[in-house]
Amino acid sequence: MVTYILRRLLGAIPVVIGVILVVFILTTIVPGDPALIMQGQRGDPQTIERIRNEMGLNDPLHIQLLNFYKSVFTFNLGRSYTNNMTVVQAIMERLPYTFGLAFLAMLFAVIFGVLFGIISATKQYSSYDYIVMVISLLGISAPAFFVGIICILVFIVWLRWIPGTGTGNGELVYVILPAVTLGARLLALIARLTRSAMLEVIRQDYITTARAKGLPDLIVVFKHALKNAMIPVVTIIGLQTAEVMGGVIITERIFGWPGVGRLSINAVTRRDFPVIRGVVLFMALIFILANILVDISYGFFDPRIRYD
Amino acid sequence: MRKFTFFVVCIMVLSLTVVCFAETPKYGGVWKDALQQNPPYLDPAMATDTTSAEIDYQIFETLVENDTEGDLVPLLAESWEVNGDATEVVFHLRKGVKFHAATEGGVPTANGGREVTAHDWVWTFNYICDPATNSPRAYFVEFIKGYQEYMDGKVDSLAGVSALDDYTLKFELSQKFAPFVSVLAYNTFVVLPREDVEKWDENWNFHPVGTGPFTFEYWNQDDKIYLSKNENYWGKDDNGNPLPYMDALEFRIIEDYSVMWEEFKVENLYQTYVDDPYYLEAKETYADSFFERPQLGTFYFGMNMELPPFKDNKPLRQAMNYAINRELLNELVLNNRQTPASGILPPGMFGYNPDLKGYNYDPAKARELLKEAGYPNGLEITLQYNTSTFNARIAEALQAQYAQIGIKVNLENLEWGTHLDTTANGEVPFFRMAWVCDYNDPDNFLYVLLHSENKGAKGNYTRYHNPIFDMLTARARRESDPNIRKELYQEAEAIIVDEAPMVFIYHHTTDSLIQPYVQNYVLPSFGQYSNKFTKVWLDI
Repeated sequence: MVTYILRRLLGAIPVVIGVILVVFILTTIVPGDPALIMQGQRGDPQTIERIRNEMGLNDPLHIQLLNFYKSVFTFNLGRSYTNNMTVVQAIMERLPYTFGLAFLAMLFAVIFGVLFGIISATKQYSSYDYIVMVISLLGISAPAFFVGIICILVFIVWLRWIPGTGTGNGELVYVILPAVTLGARLLALIARLTRSAMLEVIRQDYITTARAKGLPDLIVVFKHALKNAMIPVVTIIGLQTAEVMGGVIITERIFGWPGVGRLSINAVTRRDFPVIRGVVLFMALIFILANILVDISYGFFDPRIRYD
Repeated sequence: MRKFTFFVVCIMVLSLTVVCFAETPKYGGVWKDALQQNPPYLDPAMATDTTSAEIDYQIFETLVENDTEGDLVPLLAESWEVNGDATEVVFHLRKGVKFHAATEGGVPTANGGREVTAHDWVWTFNYICDPATNSPRAYFVEFIKGYQEYMDGKVDSLAGVSALDDYTLKFELSQKFAPFVSVLAYNTFVVLPREDVEKWDENWNFHPVGTGPFTFEYWNQDDKIYLSKNENYWGKDDNGNPLPYMDALEFRIIEDYSVMWEEFKVENLYQTYVDDPYYLEAKETYADSFFERPQLGTFYFGMNMELPPFKDNKPLRQAMNYAINRELLNELVLNNRQTPASGILPPGMFGYNPDLKGYNYDPAKARELLKEAGYPNGLEITLQYNTSTFNARIAEALQAQYAQIGIKVNLENLEWGTHLDTTANGEVPFFRMAWVCDYNDPDNFLYVLLHSENKGAKGNYTRYHNPIFDMLTARARRESDPNIRKELYQEAEAIIVDEAPMVFIYHHTTDSLIQPYVQNYVLPSFGQYSNKFTKVWLDI
């Protein structure tokens, strides 16, 4: 297992190097001069030129690329062009918010998605099944900004169950609506996937055998059927990590959530290259780690899977 | 009769009591506001945008300020004198002004809350103009004697700023510059405590210390900024009571206008901007607390004078102006919120000419001019604007109006960075732009946006060049007689209207919707962003 993990981590290094190269090329070819944007609509050409020199924007491209590689491998990603904060600090300040939100969104999606999927599968073609399927269809179809605005209207403005958007003074209640908005699509996907996987599993002989032995339904479903049905679900959770991290951008904007998503959008609009590069690198690392975790978890759900 | 008199007296006493109580400001409360973006800079030397300025106005103070009507009034200077040839300005400073003694939860500042002297101003101006600071707006004071030598690293300090004594500050200019004192109201030119700037060095932006009515508490990036009352603030109200009234200011960062509106409705915000979809509802629901007034800004579409089809083609540029029905545009697209523009100077600005003959809507004349311009069958052009729903609505309306006289307009929207870059580099023939003034003087419009010295990034995006216009605006900025200046600017503006390097669309209106229990609030003519909350109080 340890060897497997090490091998996967080593295999990630070329991916990271490739990501750096792609990010560098993209941020280099995109039009828009960060020094000019910093200066606003009435920029002084002398100051703009001095800032460009200080930022290294006038260096040849290969020197800029080498400097970028050097900064990544020395864990010094530089300072933001926009506000002079170190990139590492800018990301670290927002990380707890984004991780917290993404974790709760995924937890919400997994718990309710699996539950709805099981109910749907065990009561196929019942009214429960239809309701769950319709809700999940809506969840897949509705974009995050729509779900977000509806949530604000219903729970903040009409019902007043939630005090507002933002983070308040750190109360947990503020994370509920962003987490629901972010997790809604994943929940719908998991519910549908769990349903189809469960439908396949509960028709197999060993489930019939378990029932014939007189095991209670709950044990049959949760112990024997669900564990086998979880492999495709876990795969989709791993793959959807990237989408959740992408969805964070919209959700954070709507709910005024101060996470990495908003940092990245602001960095793009202001051509804050050090921050863009830092955030993309960070997102790539998250995606790589999430995939490794998913691969490792297969062994838990199906002991036949080996890490040779 | 006696009973009646007694009754009348009682009513009068009661009314007076009510009036007195109603007008007695209450201390306490936390102001709840929203910013539309995370301010890039709280360091005033670096701040150029309105969100940064809105916070800086509470923490820092300038020598002079623009009051809510836009007039120049003293702030940290009690008075000033300008010499005969307008090359020396001497400020007499207010005594007893102290830097913040504590910040960020009561932590003592490096300056210890000491008094501000003229030497602090000298140091501050040297800091702002130091090339190492890279202040984007340092060049606003480029006429201070020795500025260029200092910027070029030839000397160690600015020759033109000196302290005559602790409370007298002198500026010497290398040439006459009439708007100099107005420029000093800009939010970059505040007094800074050297000890704290040097203590925080590269991180100074995140630990601002000034003299203003509120002190910095914390800044959660992309979340909120919290300021608390400066207990040692020098300001007093008309009755001698200490200012400010409120205990703290909380600015949340809410990027979405619809969210801002909903948050206002549930009273999580005490003030908000009102986006077009909510305008009518806001006016109806909050009739007494929705303020609007003209702002010193102009929205225009620029025509590049160095690129075809507009280069050397005045009839075409005039046709572009005659083809637009500004009143209809304002009514249908802008909720009638703006003022249709005849020229470039906005109403309320010194030099504004209410009798200026602009371009009325005249499609027949536009077609005629189009023929004269060499396009009898119309032409096809591309209009570039920076991406936003608002800009798109206006661009589409323009597209429809131009189609009526045979001009086919293709729309291209780019995000701000690319739009600014390409426009500043002179690559775009027809583009959207707007300008809200930095200081209340026509120099900030006419010289900045149209003088040939400012072609490109410095503001003249149309790349307009006319030696007579250049001469008039250059002379006006050196002229100290207000009447002559006014004449010069009006003459210069008339040239611009005739030559039409822009399609003048509208002059901005600023608005602010506040909760009914907010008292003593006046919407400033510079725009909502320039609010100062020193005298605002909450009747909750």
